[in-house]
Amino acid sequence: MKHSIYLLLSATLLIVGCGTTSKLNKAQAYKGMYEEKPVSVLIMPPINRSTNVDAKEYFHTTLNVPILNAGYYVIPPFLSMEILKRESAYDSELFIEKPSLKIFNKIFGADIVLFTIINKWDKSSLASRVTVEVEYILKSTHTSEIVYSRKGTISYNTSISTGGNILLNMVASAINTAATKYVDVAKAANNYIFTDLPKGKYSPMYGLDKEEMAGLKVINVRLPK
Amino acid sequence: MKKYIYIFIVAFAFHSCSAPKGLYSWDKYQEASYGYLKKADEKSIDNIMEQYQNVIKKQKGTRKVTPPGMLADYGFFLIQRGDLKAGREHLNKEILLYPESKIFIDRILKLVEK
Repeated sequence: MKHSIYLLLSATLLIVGCGTTSKLNKAQAYKGMYEEKPVSVLIMPPINRSTNVDAKEYFHTTLNVPILNAGYYVIPPFLSMEILKRESAYDSELFIEKPSLKIFNKIFGADIVLFTIINKWDKSSLASRVTVEVEYILKSTHTSEIVYSRKGTISYNTSISTGGNILLNMVASAINTAATKYVDVAKAANNYIFTDLPKGKYSPMYGLDKEEMAGLKVINVRLPK
Repeated sequence: MKKYIYIFIVAFAFHSCSAPKGLYSWDKYQEASYGYLKKADEKSIDNIMEQYQNVIKKQKGTRKVTPPGMLADYGFFLIQRGDLKAGREHLNKEILLYPESKIFIDRILKLVEK
């Protein structure tokens, strides 16, 4: 009996970890990325449509690292924030539907611009679970077309175990949820969304991942951590 | 005991399919970025500047090169602290290492000169 529980558990973990592939390969799913071969990415401040006022900052600071790790040049985030503020362009809502994004190529030298929309960022304190729903949209500054877009709902258990004491566990997870765990949730969401991003110029896999199967456009993950 | 080993193996398999060894090492850069964005006080600036130095000088990623943007953002903090010379040097190093940054960094260098 016990053995079968472990088997079930491990099967679930594996499905959660590597499942969710679509029937398209990356060359088909992200045609624009392979045709345009973007090098330089500008990260726009996230658009926050959730009720959590802090979500924007939590999320913003986690975005450059996964894109750099995929092999792209990311415009220096703090410098670009400064310039966007100076040019009164810090509100991404102003640009996400714009027919032309050429201005970002002219000022920043960016080939693609990342827009993110936080639709939901909720905490259920009793279950110590954080649920985020985030949309990621990469648009070309040359054609203004969407070259990559995915949407994910990530539900993350933030509780930490302090042994068998239920009361202690509840206290510990309440403290835990309140602080930096939000950054972990954002990182988890990024991990799932960006695993599919075709590798960039600085990756040894650059141009070699076309045949890999693409993930689904909309993903749903419940992290059992 | 065996069960625990089993769980470990499973956990490792799960981990390894989402996180292969990275191009760059980051130390506590992301936490420091968040701290700065949230507070922007002296302590958070000290903290992020220390992290830039770690990422720039103690790079352990597979590329063994400073990641894009780090030299430039570090230069930006140096300039904010009044060290114009070192700030400009770091901005110029960013262009040398990543020529695709030239359009943007030249713009910043012009602003600094004003």
